[in-house]
Amino acid sequence: MIRLENGTRTESMDRRYMPWILWLLVLTAVTAGMVALRSTLIEAHVALAYLLVVLGGSSRHGGKIGIALAALAFLCFDWFFLPPFNTLTVAKPVDWIVLVAFLLTSVVAAQVFEKARSEASTARERVRELDHLASLGAETLNAGRAEDALVAISMVIRSALSLDGCAIYSAENEAVDVMCDVSETPSSDSPDSDQWHAHIETAAHSNAAVALGINGAVERFTIPAPASDAPWPAASDFVRLAIPLAIRERTVGVLTIERRAGIRLSPDQWRFLAALSYYAALGVERVRLVATAQSADALREASRLKDAVIASVSHDLRTPLTTIKALAAEIVADGDDRALTIEEETDRLNSMVADMLDIGRINSGTVSVNPEPNEAEDLVGAALQRIQGRSKGRAIRVSLESGEPLLIGRFDYTHTLRALVNLLENALKYSPDSEPVDLCVRREDAWLVFSVLDRGDGIAPADRARIFEPFYRGRGPSPDAGGSGLGLSIAHALAKAQGCSLVYEPRDRGGSVFSLRVPAVDLEELSRS
Amino acid sequence: MPDRTVLVIDDEPQIRRVVRNALSDDSTQVLEASAAAEGIDLVASRRPDLVVLDLGLPDVPGIDACRDIRRFSAVPIIVLSARHSDSDKVALLDAGADDYMTKPFSTRELQARVRAHLRRVAEVGASGTTTVEKDGITIDLLKPSLTRDGVPVHLTRTEWDLVRVLAKHAGRTLTHQQIFKAVWGNSYRDAQQNLRVHIRSLRRKIEPDPVRPTLIVTEPGVGYRLEYP
Repeated sequence: MIRLENGTRTESMDRRYMPWILWLLVLTAVTAGMVALRSTLIEAHVALAYLLVVLGGSSRHGGKIGIALAALAFLCFDWFFLPPFNTLTVAKPVDWIVLVAFLLTSVVAAQVFEKARSEASTARERVRELDHLASLGAETLNAGRAEDALVAISMVIRSALSLDGCAIYSAENEAVDVMCDVSETPSSDSPDSDQWHAHIETAAHSNAAVALGINGAVERFTIPAPASDAPWPAASDFVRLAIPLAIRERTVGVLTIERRAGIRLSPDQWRFLAALSYYAALGVERVRLVATAQSADALREASRLKDAVIASVSHDLRTPLTTIKALAAEIVADGDDRALTIEEETDRLNSMVADMLDIGRINSGTVSVNPEPNEAEDLVGAALQRIQGRSKGRAIRVSLESGEPLLIGRFDYTHTLRALVNLLENALKYSPDSEPVDLCVRREDAWLVFSVLDRGDGIAPADRARIFEPFYRGRGPSPDAGGSGLGLSIAHALAKAQGCSLVYEPRDRGGSVFSLRVPAVDLEELSRS
Repeated sequence: MPDRTVLVIDDEPQIRRVVRNALSDDSTQVLEASAAAEGIDLVASRRPDLVVLDLGLPDVPGIDACRDIRRFSAVPIIVLSARHSDSDKVALLDAGADDYMTKPFSTRELQARVRAHLRRVAEVGASGTTTVEKDGITIDLLKPSLTRDGVPVHLTRTEWDLVRVLAKHAGRTLTHQQIFKAVWGNSYRDAQQNLRVHIRSLRRKIEPDPVRPTLIVTEPGVGYRLEYP
């Protein structure tokens, strides 16, 4: 467990003085031993032996013992081993050099050891902290439900920092909502909850922490980097803090803490809070992602249902249409021409059903697009073939920039065919019977352009922006109320779905030009691919 | 005694009625089945000359029924479908169906298609077409030659291969896959793209108006068909 309280170590007196006694004994023993052998020893031997004792002491128990040992050893060296013996006077001046060198070496060595020791102990502490945070993080993030993780994190923050309250809020777009609140008195119950909520929103939107003082004063600040050793703030009158939670600079929520006696945290505690805030941020994000995933599942399910509905509607409507159409045909065969109208109306009803189903499919984004190199002439031929039954003998003039190079575009054949047929139908419908409809195909730089031109009334400037909207009809006379009003919007949507464009332009000397642009492909490019 | 029998497999009694009314006459008997299993049994026992199969059967997916029939019979199969996704159609043709019609279909169209398939089978048998004559074009696969108003038309090797595979199955829509497998084999990768280019040049040689083809017809998203006269 991380040591967050600033308490002192409570070690017994024995344990505290044991190392001093031990190393005094070692020093005494070494001195005694060397005194016995004094006649055979030179100064270097003595200096080395004492140095070993000093190093041993400081490496085991720190600089204080080291320096004390160095001082004692210095005295013993002088007293016992430098002539005249048993005095602190030194006979030869050169011996002073030996003594001073010994003292300096011992003290420096003791200090170096002390520094290394304290660094190692800090490092050990950090490792313990890290370890703790990591396991806490893993635990909280692994909590069964994403919301449980947030509760776990706020509980840990509250108890570890001895707070009265801790709460986590999510911040998405403009909305800031409480996700968990483990306060003694939840902030929503406090009398100033609305004001406080406004401060939380400020924290979320400004990305700076907001502090609320005892006297109601509000201050914005940035959380201090844990550099100084002193607790912060020095004299605390903050009772509540709202800290924005961010992941990669994106604010995902707000963490609030409360302590009625005033919030004052040591650098360790700030660091701890920063780390746990990050876990809280991840937790909030996790809740959001889980919700997103669930709604994506729901969307997928809805889309699947929609497809099922479309399939069954399509089946259920087409079967009776088939029967009606067939019966009408039988009646016609029996000589009653009135049934021809039934047949025609059935066809119209069918194409309306198809349009409705198609626009539904396109809008729900379930249309699959398969663009591949296709040949313009082939598409035009198929479009003319398809419109044959509906053109009632009206002339459609085709002009293809013929000859080499071939007109090849990259488009989805079926969708583009449907778009082109809709454009032709539209042109036939909205232009007088006497006027032919023109279909031109040409290459324009990187585009292959299919243009359908008619001599109808054209489209009033006010209506131009909206002609591709479903069910939109211009203000002009509608020659045929029977269409679904979806032809142009289907064509437009199908063009857009495959990254092509469909635009309207007024035609010189009256009428409309609808141009469908698809990416062109060069034959050489094709044979290389 | 009717000359031929047609089997309609459909779970909807109204559709069976429509097909029966459209097809049954003095020379044609129409058999009915309301489920795939029953229909497949009837194909085996009564050996009909043509099968009209609904894609949306309750017991077995229509495409599986189609495959099951193809396992033991070459009878022409016309599929009726309310869905109109291209991949469905392609899968059907690949599974061995000869033709498909999307509901609501016209009775006349159904009669015409049935007639065409019956005549094709009667004339060419199972071995496939050897000669096709339409709109002044004569294709003789045995010689082999292609003439337009009696004048020989020069075709490239690939164009000939295309004509051969389309003419052999005249009246049937062949999927892109089926065509380029027959013409290029499996190894040739950009065949699908080249297929369209070759069809275009072939049309320019043999169609009176290549923009309004009457001989080699495109089935959008599915493939091509050489119209049987």
